[in-house]
Amino acid sequence: MIRLKNINKTYFGAQPLHVLKGIDLEVNEGEMVSIMGASGSGKSTLLNILGILDSYDTGDYHLAGQLVKDLSENKAAEFRNRMIGFIFQSFNLIPFKTAMENVALPLYYQSMTRRKRNMLAMEYLERFGLKEWADHYPNELSGGQKQRVSVARALVTQPKIILADEPTGALDSKTSAEVMQILREVNDSGITMLIVTHEKGIAQRTKKIIRLCDGIIKSVEANDPNAIDLQSDIK
Amino acid sequence: MIFTRDFWQEIMIALHRNRLRTLLTGFAIAWGIFMLILLMSAGNGFMNGMLSNFESRSTNIYTLYGGSTSKPYHGHKKGRSIHFSDADIRLLSSGFPHVCNVTPELSASGQAVFGSQSRQTTLIGVTPIYKDMSWVKLLEGRFINENDVKRAEKVIVIDDALRKDLFRELETPIGQYLFVNDIAYKVIGVAKSFRQSGNRAFTAYTTLKRLTRQENYWKLSFSTEGLVTKAQNKDFEKLLLRQLGSLHDFAHDDDHAVWINSTAMDFMEVNRIFSSIKLFIWLIGIAMLVSGIVGVSNIMRITVKERTNEIGIRKALGAKSSSILSSIVMEALLITTLFGYIGMMAGIGISALANSMLGKYEVEGTNLFMNPSVDMRVVALATLVLIVSGITAGFFPARKAVKVKPIEAINYR
Repeated sequence: MIRLKNINKTYFGAQPLHVLKGIDLEVNEGEMVSIMGASGSGKSTLLNILGILDSYDTGDYHLAGQLVKDLSENKAAEFRNRMIGFIFQSFNLIPFKTAMENVALPLYYQSMTRRKRNMLAMEYLERFGLKEWADHYPNELSGGQKQRVSVARALVTQPKIILADEPTGALDSKTSAEVMQILREVNDSGITMLIVTHEKGIAQRTKKIIRLCDGIIKSVEANDPNAIDLQSDIK
Repeated sequence: MIFTRDFWQEIMIALHRNRLRTLLTGFAIAWGIFMLILLMSAGNGFMNGMLSNFESRSTNIYTLYGGSTSKPYHGHKKGRSIHFSDADIRLLSSGFPHVCNVTPELSASGQAVFGSQSRQTTLIGVTPIYKDMSWVKLLEGRFINENDVKRAEKVIVIDDALRKDLFRELETPIGQYLFVNDIAYKVIGVAKSFRQSGNRAFTAYTTLKRLTRQENYWKLSFSTEGLVTKAQNKDFEKLLLRQLGSLHDFAHDDDHAVWINSTAMDFMEVNRIFSSIKLFIWLIGIAMLVSGIVGVSNIMRITVKERTNEIGIRKALGAKSSSILSSIVMEALLITTLFGYIGMMAGIGISALANSMLGKYEVEGTNLFMNPSVDMRVVALATLVLIVSGITAGFFPARKAVKVKPIEAINYR
């Protein structure tokens, strides 16, 4: 599903910062992978490149068999819209839109009719137990509810992969566990999932853990999420 | 994309979220257009008023006044007075193909007496064409006709003021006999008073000439045909002065000997002044509008900055650049045109009100102000200006928004 070959990325600031130093990575369809690393290890940059939110300097990135390189703005937008679902640490819901409108927004950019996309949005909200909250604005929702809305929004376009950037970073442990459970279920339905985290408890709930250090992959290890006690403290 | 309900709903929501800001921004635009329309309608009113003074003499009318020479010529000293006589009339009528309707004018002042009332008046001797050339408005009866001139009839056309003063009790003065300097004239018509230059009465020039034993005319008028351009008129004036110079023996470049006035030249001059006034009004109006546009553009910049995060999210979710660009441009366009139209309507309303209340403003028989209004061409032009300015106001902030990288936008706080 994802194939990275020798990806390099340098930020040119006052002092050039070589963030990713030749990343080789392969993620197969249906995998649930976590990327761990300290802050500054390049994990967020990697995720942004995977999400076509940022560009890379050298190397090749194949997503679902297609080379993602030097895409035009519009092409990149279309790729993001059709293939990738994002879940952010700070939810990034649009504050003046209701839960339903937020979920329906990606479909708006597919030029879907209002009726159809609202129907689909409701379906996904219902799936995550938010039917009653459909008409509420983000500031009326709890953190867990917000993240569930954003999961619904990520899924509503039926993307190939879900990219989650510290999805539980702003949540307490109980809610974190709930969200991870949901992501598990989503992955079980066959959607490839990449989670960037620095929390061990989160990584342990994925099936593969990639450790990133100073812009290179230090280790890739298989993990059995069922091995840990799901009630154990996540953080 | 642009024409879907959703697209406009998104914009309306954005505008609605910053209601006060939208209103204040819109006010600048509305005010700009309002002032532009008002300035233009006032300018038009002023112009209409001025031009209406020319309308009644739409033909080109020349007026010659005898002056005095400013340079010695052929042994004559300078300062010699020039008087017109029948020789001048003959010269004008036969010597110039463009000249027609030559009208001499002479005058005498005297005491007009009817019954026990008397008033000082100026009696002017004219031809029938004088009525059209000098913009005499007849209120009653008729004006001097060819017959009166031919037979030197003792008939008189009095003005409004004389009629009021002398024929107070009578329903009509027509048919009555009025004494001027002890000569009885039959009243044949009443004309509107002309400015505040004292009482006036008209009789045939032949009549006055005979009764007062004058040989000279103080003024000659005639209309011209076929003199359209400024150059044609200038050439004609030169030729005229030379011919008159030969007749009266003065230097052919002595423009003090005979004073030449032409409505066409006046008209051209007035038109020239008005086009500069018009330009000035447009410049002021546009300048006011520009400050409004800058306001809108500024607000859109702030809006884009505030919405950086939102724009980033939208981009992450698959919004294309064109969608972001068009939504911001349309937002600016909507503010400009909506409030622009409010301003325009207010301006048109006020000028229509002024039109109906004021209509015409006269000073001493001269229209100063008439029909302040804006025509549809101006409205169409203003609309165009609004649309162009709306797009301009939105474009630069929108381009800034488009350049925002989604990841930077999302992380923007």
